[in-house]
Amino acid sequence: MFENIPILSLLILFPLVGAIAAFMMGRSPKAAKYAALAFSAIPLALSTLLLTEFSLTGGFQFVEKYQWISFLGISFHLGVDGVSITMVFLSTLLVFLAILFSWDVEERLHQYMGLMLVLEVGVLGVFLSLDYFVFYIFWEVVLIPMYFLIAIWGGVNRAYASIKFFIYTHVASLAMLLGIFALFFTTAPLLQADGLIPADAIGTFDMLLIADVAGGLGEMLQIAIFGALFFGFIVKMPVVPFHTWLPDAHVQAPTAGSVLLAGLLLKMGSYGIIRICLPTLPEAAVDFQLIMAVIGVVAIIYGALACLAQSDLKKMVAYSSISHMGIVMLGIATLTQLGIAAAVFQMFAHGLITAVLFMVCGMFQHKAGTREIPMLGGLAPKVPILSTVMMMGFMASLGLPGMVGFLAEFMVFTSTYDAWGVWVLVPIATVALTAAYYLWAMQRSIFGELTTKIDTKHLHDAYWFETVPLAVLLGLIILFGVWPAFMLDLITPSIPMVWPLSGVI
Amino acid sequence: MTFAEYAWLIPIFPLIAFVVVGFLGNRLFKNWEGGAPIAIGMTAISLVLSLAVAFEALTTGTGTPFIQSLEWIVVQGGEFAFTFNMGIYIDNLTALMLIVVSFVATLVVIYSLGYMHEEGEKKRRYYAVISLFISVMLGLVLASNFLQMFIFWELVGLCSYLLIGFWNTRPSAASAAKKAFLVTRIGDIMFMIGLFVLFVGFQGNLDFAYIFDNVDAFVGGNELLTFGTLMLFGGAVGKSAQFPLHDWLPDAMEGPTTVSALIHAATMVKAGVYLVARSYPVMVETPDTMLVIAFIGGFTAIFAATMALNNTNIKRVLAYSTISQLGYMFLALGAGGYIFAQQPEFNVGYAAGTFHLMNHAFFKALLFLSAGAVIHAVHTEDMRLMGGLSKKLKITSLVMLIGCLSIAGIPPFSGFWSKDLVLEAAFAGIEYNSLFILLYAFGLITAFMTAFYMFRLWFLTFSGEPRDKHAYEHAHEAPAVMWVPLALLAILAFGSGFAFLFGFESTLVPGLMDFHPHEAGPIDLLTAVFTNVLTYASIAAAVLGIGLAYMMYKKRAIDPARFTSGSVGKTLSNVLLARYGFTKGYDWIGLKVVYGTAKVVDFIDRRLIDGLINGISAGLIRSGNFLRRAQTGFVQSYAAVIVVGVSLIVILLFLVGGVI
Amino acid sequence: MIPIEYFLALSGILFVIGALGVLTKRNAIVVLMSVELMLNAANINFVAFSSYYGNLNGAVFALIAIAIAAAEVAVGLAIIMNLYKTRDTISLDEINLLRW
Repeated sequence: MFENIPILSLLILFPLVGAIAAFMMGRSPKAAKYAALAFSAIPLALSTLLLTEFSLTGGFQFVEKYQWISFLGISFHLGVDGVSITMVFLSTLLVFLAILFSWDVEERLHQYMGLMLVLEVGVLGVFLSLDYFVFYIFWEVVLIPMYFLIAIWGGVNRAYASIKFFIYTHVASLAMLLGIFALFFTTAPLLQADGLIPADAIGTFDMLLIADVAGGLGEMLQIAIFGALFFGFIVKMPVVPFHTWLPDAHVQAPTAGSVLLAGLLLKMGSYGIIRICLPTLPEAAVDFQLIMAVIGVVAIIYGALACLAQSDLKKMVAYSSISHMGIVMLGIATLTQLGIAAAVFQMFAHGLITAVLFMVCGMFQHKAGTREIPMLGGLAPKVPILSTVMMMGFMASLGLPGMVGFLAEFMVFTSTYDAWGVWVLVPIATVALTAAYYLWAMQRSIFGELTTKIDTKHLHDAYWFETVPLAVLLGLIILFGVWPAFMLDLITPSIPMVWPLSGVI
Repeated sequence: MTFAEYAWLIPIFPLIAFVVVGFLGNRLFKNWEGGAPIAIGMTAISLVLSLAVAFEALTTGTGTPFIQSLEWIVVQGGEFAFTFNMGIYIDNLTALMLIVVSFVATLVVIYSLGYMHEEGEKKRRYYAVISLFISVMLGLVLASNFLQMFIFWELVGLCSYLLIGFWNTRPSAASAAKKAFLVTRIGDIMFMIGLFVLFVGFQGNLDFAYIFDNVDAFVGGNELLTFGTLMLFGGAVGKSAQFPLHDWLPDAMEGPTTVSALIHAATMVKAGVYLVARSYPVMVETPDTMLVIAFIGGFTAIFAATMALNNTNIKRVLAYSTISQLGYMFLALGAGGYIFAQQPEFNVGYAAGTFHLMNHAFFKALLFLSAGAVIHAVHTEDMRLMGGLSKKLKITSLVMLIGCLSIAGIPPFSGFWSKDLVLEAAFAGIEYNSLFILLYAFGLITAFMTAFYMFRLWFLTFSGEPRDKHAYEHAHEAPAVMWVPLALLAILAFGSGFAFLFGFESTLVPGLMDFHPHEAGPIDLLTAVFTNVLTYASIAAAVLGIGLAYMMYKKRAIDPARFTSGSVGKTLSNVLLARYGFTKGYDWIGLKVVYGTAKVVDFIDRRLIDGLINGISAGLIRSGNFLRRAQTGFVQSYAAVIVVGVSLIVILLFLVGGVI
Repeated sequence: MIPIEYFLALSGILFVIGALGVLTKRNAIVVLMSVELMLNAANINFVAFSSYYGNLNGAVFALIAIAIAAAEVAVGLAIIMNLYKTRDTISLDEINLLRW
């Protein structure tokens, strides 16, 4: 019944309309807030609909393709498969909840809401587009609202953080752009030879067409293109040593900005690897396998150790993102169906969990006035809801079974053992390290004797607009932890599409 | 099978209690003991169902387990197809554990009604979490595959963490909770690796039923399987607090005594023993692993017992005793498995391990709860401030005496029967490996020490003159909700050993492949036990221990201070009190090694990587600053530069020629 | 007929005078007038070549240049007026806002 509705275009269109509307509501910022909520609720509803309508056979569905700049082979080509549908659902959910969580923002409210919606447009575009040109445009669109969110609503050191964020990711996307151009020009003769594009065309930016023939490129060329694209993606993920923009950006960003930055923007990097690098250049992927595994493991351990040394709660959570995205990288590096499916599931899990964690950090900032762990202490009896949520979030993040993070981690490590045997001992040490930094942080911030360093008399527990998003997220964390098959059934059939294993290795 | 069809409900009822008590707000349960009636009711329903299921399994059991499962995750296609199931697996071992867990749990929850009465609003949290614990512990017992077991394994760890840290405003409790979680996590990592080995080796199937029937189908050779089982045992070491991951358990005594009784004595710490017993069909394929298990068990038994000798904290003594007794169980299982690998008729080890597991659950829960009644009466855990309490706490002192006699191994109390079997299993191993001489000696010495420190505890607490008059004056016998559970446990602590005479061994063992139980009547067994010289050796060790304690702490014929006065004695005593430096060692690893590395990483991050990045940016800014000097702001100087530039170009073109 | 070289010499002299004026004078009005001189030097060239080749294109260019120059003077004077109003000076030495 939905065949005739361009549901994916609508998914991108609604936040765009909402953003324009919000920007124009400077006179009544309160109305902008409601408008933003409404215009982010519609994509959420649409993506939920998508989940229910999505058929479990895998492959790209709901495909839309409109010619745009035909002499360059650019078309507005959208589609979802099991990998992107999870990300689309996550995006619409997190943006909606982030808007709700920002209910008490007052400064330049309408612009804030507008930027959030622009961000949603960009992120959804990245996850939906099947054309390199469109993909790149949306990729860059994401950058701008995030830059302004940090630079305007950020903390004390926001100028440094926002510029660092911008330059890092922009340089990386230039490398990616080079890779895209290289693909465009080098695949054109192959496409013409196969008759996939007319003989007089310059080339095409269509991902699927390019993926069909890119395997025919020379190996050195493949490695070079893979390297350029890969660099663009890993900076976004980010991996050590290109990660230092992340803690700074997180520490300075407003809470909702952090939620979207960690929940969605980091996923764009790993999504790019899964969507573009692996299926398009499978032979180069095999050459890069060991590099991917090593940087994954380094990110896991390095991130976890860095967490242990932090005194700022939010910075700790930021580093934990690096560690958890390292697990995604490790899953991808196994180049097996199990590993990549687990990586995608871990991306989804991390998106949900890290959103909770950053909201918790934001609430500490808001209520206690500080996120410095040595300043806190013994707050559990004072703010029971916040403490409970914090504990549940931390437990989810350290991979407690029954919550969504466990199975993802477990499957990644299983496939790691399958691929490299007892080398799994190195990355699996993070299971203890993660528990160590979370439990230690909890012990110092909410347990023990009540702190005297801050005013604890007027601590207010969570407000409704904070409790509701957190309850929704925790509910989903437990739901998908108890019933992971729902997501895995969506994801796994699409993995062979992403990674044509047969006949490669 | 009729009741077993509903066995999946057993963990559900306490889970309902958790949800109701945990999420329905303080207001609802303010005048209702924090939701205790719901927790008790749901646990009791579970108990009834458990007993029915267990009774059915034990009486009608044919050796084939009852299995029910549903697919949790199915991954198909590709090169890797597998299914994770969630289900229940009921054989006689499960039945035994069901009885132990649900029975002790019910009594503890009832007992909590009295013990936790004064906790105010915090009670609701207590009853919620303890309901959750009971639920997941029963889930662990019923699990039908290794992954499911691991899931519940982690969840009981969570509950343990929450309950140790129940008084979370006490820094020591928060610290102990963290330590318990982290140390057991080390074990969990090994458990996970063991799971990977099995998962890949058995081609993506972790079901008990499949693995036990197809042990030979393991891909990767016996060495890999040995590695895998060793790693599984690593998980057990963490959970059951065996050397060298034992040091969290004494700290865990920071939790309420009820929690210590339920989680850290009777049920959760048994999960490791249960894991080894459960995976026996795989484990016996790898005798090397079994040898390691026996050795770790035997060593832990004596190692932990020494630390109990001079401790003055009543709960800590019991904690060390728990570690030591768990070591006994591993010794029995390991010895039994090692022998079994070479002589597949030998089943004493397996029976001894599981039998001691059951008996220990009853008498140790009894001991902890009695200690709780004492603490409840005098509000201290320090035995130096007790004494003479038997006049005030008549029932408590009596039931505790039963517990002490039982753990010391005096016939006919339950501990005697199982400890005797454990030592028999260890002794039988001598024939196959001379290492067992040492392990048997460990076991025997431990029996002596156990008797000594338990009676030291009893005499210090209950006999003699009160050493703290004020506490003594205010002491009063526990209310009925506390002493009735104690009495019930005392009956079991006395009597559960007789199960041995009525076919414990032959009932439990057939669940395992290739075991050949010998059918024997009570009289035969009795004769076998009491005509064996080993029996008298262990009784003698126990009597000697009690006698020594009597002389030192009751008759005062030997002054205890004599042992700590000399320099050697003093050092030794201090080493024991410092737990052989393990506490310091853990702290050193945590704070110096791990945290130190973390600091180095942080330094690299801030100074090296960010330093490089900021250096590049500073360099660019500096060169920009230099170049912008050219921008003077005087239009005329710009014009002059233009004129000069144009002239230069014109001249250059003249010189090069060609164009003009 | 006057040889074209004379026109070119006149225009060259005018252009150099204008350029020197632009480079050396401090008064903005004088600079503006010098710019006019340079423009007219160019116009003379256009007209000279126009008559030399018998082609009206050059004359048309010159006319357009005069029209544009008139507009430019108006804008330039307006800027100078505003400068004078806000800064009380039209000396270019003191107007260096576009500085580093």
